[in-house]
Amino acid sequence: MGFSLTPAQADAVLSALKQDYRVYAPKRFPKQGRYSDTDVIRYAEVERFSDIVWDVKSDYPAKEVITPIQQAIFYFTEDEYRASKAKTKPILILARPCDINAQHIQAKIYAGNGGYEDLYYKRVRDLVKFAMMECNGGDDTCFCVSMGSNRTDDYSLALKFSADGVQVQVTDDAFAPYFAGMAEADYAPAFVEENQLKVTVPDLDDKAVRLALKSHPMWKEFNSRCVSCGACTVACSTCTCFTTRDVIYGDNPEVGERRRVSASCQIAGFDQMAGQKEFRSTAGDRMRYKVLHKFHDYKARFGERHMCVGCGRCTHRCPELISISATVSKVSAAVEEIKASMAQQ
Amino acid sequence: MNHDINVKKMRLNCFRQSKVPGEFMLQMRVPGGMVDAKYLSYVEHIANTWGDGNFHFGTRQTFDITGIKYENIPAVNAYLEQYIKEVDAELCGVNMDTVAHEPQPWDPKAGYPTIGARNITACVGNYHCICGNCNTFELARKIEPIIFPSHYHIKINIAGCPNDCNKAHLCDFGIIGVARMTYHPERCIGCGACVRACEHGATRVLSLNEATGKIEKDPCCCVGCGECVKACPASAWTRQETKFYRVILGGRTGRQTPRTGKMFLNWATEDVILGVLKNWQKFSAWVMDYKPEYLHGGHLIDRAGYKKFKEIILDGVKLNPECLVAEDIFWHETEYRSNFNVKPMALHHSAGPQNG
Amino acid sequence: MMNPVQPQACTILSVKKESVHEWTFRVATDAKPAHGQFMQLSIPMIGEAPISVSAQGEGWLEFTIRSVGKVTNVIFEKQAGDTLFLRGPYGKGWPVEQFKGKHLVVITGGTGLAPVRSMLNMLADDPDYVKSVHLISGFKNEEGIVFHNELEAWKEKFSTIYALDNDAKEGWRTGLVTTFVKEIPFDSFGGNYAVVVVGPPPMMKFTGLELMKNGVDAEKVWMSFERKMSCAVGKCGHCRIDEVYVCLDGPVFPYTVARDLVD
Repeated sequence: MGFSLTPAQADAVLSALKQDYRVYAPKRFPKQGRYSDTDVIRYAEVERFSDIVWDVKSDYPAKEVITPIQQAIFYFTEDEYRASKAKTKPILILARPCDINAQHIQAKIYAGNGGYEDLYYKRVRDLVKFAMMECNGGDDTCFCVSMGSNRTDDYSLALKFSADGVQVQVTDDAFAPYFAGMAEADYAPAFVEENQLKVTVPDLDDKAVRLALKSHPMWKEFNSRCVSCGACTVACSTCTCFTTRDVIYGDNPEVGERRRVSASCQIAGFDQMAGQKEFRSTAGDRMRYKVLHKFHDYKARFGERHMCVGCGRCTHRCPELISISATVSKVSAAVEEIKASMAQQ
Repeated sequence: MNHDINVKKMRLNCFRQSKVPGEFMLQMRVPGGMVDAKYLSYVEHIANTWGDGNFHFGTRQTFDITGIKYENIPAVNAYLEQYIKEVDAELCGVNMDTVAHEPQPWDPKAGYPTIGARNITACVGNYHCICGNCNTFELARKIEPIIFPSHYHIKINIAGCPNDCNKAHLCDFGIIGVARMTYHPERCIGCGACVRACEHGATRVLSLNEATGKIEKDPCCCVGCGECVKACPASAWTRQETKFYRVILGGRTGRQTPRTGKMFLNWATEDVILGVLKNWQKFSAWVMDYKPEYLHGGHLIDRAGYKKFKEIILDGVKLNPECLVAEDIFWHETEYRSNFNVKPMALHHSAGPQNG
Repeated sequence: MMNPVQPQACTILSVKKESVHEWTFRVATDAKPAHGQFMQLSIPMIGEAPISVSAQGEGWLEFTIRSVGKVTNVIFEKQAGDTLFLRGPYGKGWPVEQFKGKHLVVITGGTGLAPVRSMLNMLADDPDYVKSVHLISGFKNEEGIVFHNELEAWKEKFSTIYALDNDAKEGWRTGLVTTFVKEIPFDSFGGNYAVVVVGPPPMMKFTGLELMKNGVDAEKVWMSFERKMSCAVGKCGHCRIDEVYVCLDGPVFPYTVARDLVD
């Protein structure tokens, strides 16, 4: 079932949808960028069709809708931790295929790892349906095809935006009523089949190679380049790490909340226990930890696929212009070097 | 060599006397220090045709072309017509047929009508720089028609951020682009990057509250540099959309009383800056009893006294609610000579209308 | 929906000072952790930390806590009758079943004794469970010694070497625990042994190397890790090393896994 909507019609559908769903999409926040007179595009509830930014990718990922940077998980008093309540209104997220695939990757951790299902993830995730935004190819930091995250079938609606409006494919009958009376059109979404950027993930199956890679001098480059700010992990579509923190309200130490706040393995102290030394004390160590997680460790644990979806947001947000694709290429070169030297021995 | 040249008239025409008698250096205005690169061919043409083939970056960001012979000045001026029209009249909207906003027809073949208000300098600002908080040359282009052409002198330097690479502290009227920040605690991951950035590069106004994991700020001492915004990995600090400016007043170099300027306005909007500068002619005229002298703005403030300056310069200006104004300013001059200001009455300067 | 990070209020039954820096809290709870597992212990407004279970009995658990970090500092203000919050137990403990009928070598550094304490007490009570217990316990200095009573009692039951890193103490040896590894009669065990190592990371690393040097079979060695954790259920990511989560797959690891983990 397909439709073609003008911007005015799209506004009407959006307001009807908003009766029943919290509709999140990439939205422009003017002049809130890192540098003066630059904007930030991040996920937020949208009010009208024109709020939706579809022509460029968002700076921050869709995960913020489901696992916000900060959330209260408990409220406490002297003798009780009471779990926070969540809104129950369903959520519709407008997201590109890479963003939708990223949620499947996050789910392995939040809803599966160790057999524990995270209440705070699950209760929001269960409310979510996706409206897949047909990707116009992204930009020169994207490499979804290399990571196999260019396609998805997890969507209730598919949308193709243009200046003239939006074409819609409805795959979930629950959404059909919102389009009643709209002009029908024959639309089926297309997926990006080739990115400008192609990344070959190195073969790290060999444990000896992996161990050698960890102490390879390539990581030293990042000691001087990376400032360990963590912008890459905040922008990452799949990073899940968080820290919990108890905060008291006002001057009464008996009442407060336990918060979950995004954490970054790139920021010093991530692995630091009270009174002890850090295990990863240099930017190079931390970069190695992140890169290997995205391109080996996650897959080694959960099978199927790598953690990185190739959305390129880490590259896009890095203030020091460190490219993840270039870094993976350096890993590949290091692995070749290691394998060659092992073959000689 | 027998010359009979009115060098003061030449200076007014933006031709500076050379140590070689009969030679001059042209100073082409480049408001805000930014123009289309195509004008470099004009510079090249003038230098190769009438100058000595060299070109100097003027200390006030003018294109300075040396070695122009006096007899060639009319030809140079005629050639300058297009540059002046395109850069000053069209790009900046200067009314060339006025001087100090009084009608005075401009002879397009006669070059610059006055050297008066000096070229407005600017760093590259947020057009390029990762630190800049404002578009410096666009502001310069808005100020240019307010202060030029005029025989009253003022040196304006615009810096895009409090790092003040363009030395707003060393001119009559220094403008510094500042940002007011908004903190979004719900986006803050408590990493402390902003705290370290402020500590390292600004005024240590931020601290991480260990109990809450959130940032606390001493807004009073914030210089508005935006380093916190730059440092934040999560956009928890953002600049407000409105652009704000700090004005540093009365700085100068010179042989007698060099000094750095002091803060006159803080958190002023562009409207306030432009409104204040519109009163500049009025203030200068009042101090010098309506007879322009080759004397820069800071000296005029000395003569009038800061309070009189403030009265005239803020006249009719509607200050934005955030704007702070110095109640008084006490400059500190380099003491080349102790008791410099103690001198015979006859050497004292006057200020304001001189009756009789 | 079940909330795996829901803390439960528990009453403190007693507080015992073990050393200048270490205190043992006995807390009323029905939780039945396996030896070597840990619990998440929290105090409102201060937060939560993973703490190993150092002893257990009917209706109670003991936690031995070192005075580092803001959580533990406030824990020391708590007294019998006060409330603490617990959740757990979490992780994989010692493979006690596998130790049955073997010679067991236990090597600990400092408060690394806590995660093996409940197992050692069990073995002291049930001497036939294993063939023998060889215990090497090292402490930085006299101030750092914990579980004085048990250390004394174990002397009777186990073959013990107690040592201080640099200082002299009557009846004690001086030197790092690695120094004493060669005194364990591995040759006499006929291959029927298991080794347990717990302590600070460098101590475990060098003890592992020393064991290998002494011909110990890597597959018979076990180590318990301690890493930063927020959730203890494999979500927060802090304790991940390579493809392993210390909270889920540890804290006890076979040495064959542990030696290749690079933080």
